[in-house]
Amino acid sequence: MNLPRPHDPRKRHGIALIAGAVFASVVPTFANTPTKPPIRAAPVTFVSCPIYRDTDQGPKSGCWLADDYATGVRYDIGQGRTKPQVGRMVLVEGIPAPAPNLCGGAVLKPVHTSPLASTCPAVILPAENFPGRPFVLRLDHVLPPADVVRPLPQGPFANKRWAIEFDYRSDFLAYQYSEVILDAIARYVRASHPIEVRVEGYAATRPYVVSGMRLVEPPQLAEDRADRVARALRRLGVDRKIMRVRSSVNPRPAAIDDGLAQPSLRRVTIRVELARNRPER
Amino acid sequence: MDQTIMSARTFAGPHQRRRGSRHHRRCAALSIAGALAAVSGMAPAGAGSAAVAPYHGGTAHSTGTGYWTPNSARTFPRLVEYPDATGTIAVLNADGPTATRGNPFFTALGTNGRACVTCHQPDDGMSVSVATIRARWRATGGRDPLFAAIDGSNCPSLPQNLRKSHSLLLHHGLFRIARPWPPRDPDGRVITPQFTIQVVRDPTGCNLDPKYGLYSRHPMISVFRRPRPAANLKYVTAVGFTFDPKDGLPLPIDPETGLRMSGNILADARAGTLKAQVLDAMRTHLQVRGNPNPADVAKVIAFESSLYTAQIADRVGGSLTADGATGGPEALATGKPGELNSPQHPQWSEFFAWARKNRARPSATPAERAFRASVLRGIELFTKKTFLVRDSAGLNSMNFGNPVRNTCNFCHNMNRTGMDVAPGQVDIGTTNEPRADPQPGLPLFKLTCAPQFPPQPFLGRVVYTHDPGYALTTGKCADIGKITIQSLRGLAARPPYFSNGSAPTIRAVVDFYNRRYRIGLTEREKRDLTNFLSVL
Repeated sequence: MNLPRPHDPRKRHGIALIAGAVFASVVPTFANTPTKPPIRAAPVTFVSCPIYRDTDQGPKSGCWLADDYATGVRYDIGQGRTKPQVGRMVLVEGIPAPAPNLCGGAVLKPVHTSPLASTCPAVILPAENFPGRPFVLRLDHVLPPADVVRPLPQGPFANKRWAIEFDYRSDFLAYQYSEVILDAIARYVRASHPIEVRVEGYAATRPYVVSGMRLVEPPQLAEDRADRVARALRRLGVDRKIMRVRSSVNPRPAAIDDGLAQPSLRRVTIRVELARNRPER
Repeated sequence: MDQTIMSARTFAGPHQRRRGSRHHRRCAALSIAGALAAVSGMAPAGAGSAAVAPYHGGTAHSTGTGYWTPNSARTFPRLVEYPDATGTIAVLNADGPTATRGNPFFTALGTNGRACVTCHQPDDGMSVSVATIRARWRATGGRDPLFAAIDGSNCPSLPQNLRKSHSLLLHHGLFRIARPWPPRDPDGRVITPQFTIQVVRDPTGCNLDPKYGLYSRHPMISVFRRPRPAANLKYVTAVGFTFDPKDGLPLPIDPETGLRMSGNILADARAGTLKAQVLDAMRTHLQVRGNPNPADVAKVIAFESSLYTAQIADRVGGSLTADGATGGPEALATGKPGELNSPQHPQWSEFFAWARKNRARPSATPAERAFRASVLRGIELFTKKTFLVRDSAGLNSMNFGNPVRNTCNFCHNMNRTGMDVAPGQVDIGTTNEPRADPQPGLPLFKLTCAPQFPPQPFLGRVVYTHDPGYALTTGKCADIGKITIQSLRGLAARPPYFSNGSAPTIRAVVDFYNRRYRIGLTEREKRDLTNFLSVL
């Protein structure tokens, strides 16, 4: 299997982006001035010690920043589904976006952040005139309350595939993301009566180096991820008799819609099979 | 305005403080009178009680009749009220008047003379307060079944006639909870724990006891906890959402009923259902021999599920069901359980009407108006004042990040009870070093996580704790020190607070949070929060 090459931010970054980002990150007076990275900027990947900037725009607001030590650029990394933890290094995988500098760093969006085991100083900065941004909950990322009666999906049905991504070295099903996918799968299964539900876990077992740190996931993690998803589906009523649970290492990137290949290697795919060789929807 | 409130509280007459707060420093003198009155008020069944101002005009209810002893022949009315530290607690029996004779909730089913009601007293909001415990000691010379050796003493092996053998119960309202080591799953299978456990300090002697200790033939960890109220249980068992965000899995399903389990029963969530909880209580606290009678179990569940408790009147603020407010237990009985607070369903809206009508009622005294305004400010603080929630396993360890800015109702998010709609196992630090308040009377354990497992996310691989909490159920390092969030209703009737009784007053609870999360509350804000919590 082929793995994509790890991203090397030192080679792929545009100088203009760096200059713009640095300028924006150190001049709060221009906090609302949008930085303008190149269209479809190259992804960046780095390991850093995260910084929390205590901007107060209500519950779950507050900014997360991290410096790419290779370039000196400070990024705003707060728009991923998993937020960092002060005092623990973080793996950042993201794409610079042309967005206003509200926090003191060039915005990465999409962005994935994975807390690492390595510790570092816990740093919390004051707002320093940066407004931050309020937390906005996407309605398609939340389930309705348990007592809301929802109609099952209507046919015609076809074979269908989903993917759930995980943080680096984690099998935790992230909130306000995973449960929506799992719920959709369980409801599709309930409605379509498939002959098989294939759950396949993957782990990024090929080592790669980011910011001088060797990153690799243990093969067992692929199995742990698959088992966890299968357990979740069982709790949602999917019959264990129709589930086939497997794991695999060194996966190819999944078909991705956010332009980030590496996070897609840390996934579980779930394929609902109504009949052999039926086209997938 | 605040001075008025404090004055009114301080100089409330002793006749209104039958069971006055003994921990209220400003009321030290009155607390003596209150305690003396408590002795007479805690007489066995049938004894009279102090009169309570009738706040429910036209509603059938009874005033309190003192301590409920097992095996008594009484009628538990539809509504019963008792004075407490700040006003009046009420218990609503939604199924209507119930004869206690033959009802297993009131019957000593085991060998130690206890019934469920022994530790779930109506005048203590269906828990049991230190004031009640001390009064029972004085009234019975320590021979009440409440002080049963199995868990009403520091250790069964101690001489049971000595007061000091029951010090944790008498001083902090703590009962011994003996958990098997290593942990067992609900089917009794051994769970291989991710950590080792050592006894660092054992002031009760029970964790090193040759019969009851960690190195005994049947190894046990003895922790000491407050009893949770046997009321408002539809909120405790409510499933608001199917997914447990802290565990990262859908809620488990009870194989017997096919219903999803809330995960909010008991401090360490060792019982997934009320049935499991009742069975556990019968076998341990009541010392029922053999398998409890299924009919008794069903009747206990039915009775306790019909009970709702809440504060119904405040000594200063007056009726909590007047002028549009819907405090008290009636609204709990009709309310929807498991409802997450939201802009459409704001939390503690039970008292919002006061904001509209407070000024409009000319008969309200200045103290009453001031108190109600204070409660409303307390609600505003509880639901709107943000602070950095930090280093709390169960919250910051999921994908919200550490820290995360939020309010009190980030965790206390269920409407009407302030429980967590998701299973509420969280470590706020009440039981773990170095954040726990000093409690030399409690045991201290050293937990060491094995290297192949993730450590406790914010306390590391070596944790010193009075109570490992949820980890005694799961065996996981990540769960060390997590304690299930409990209902905030009826607080005024059942001090002390937190699972280990470390906060003697509601104000001490507010002070703990203010210290723990550096909220920066002003003195007035602390009073407002205290007043608000006292009317729940």
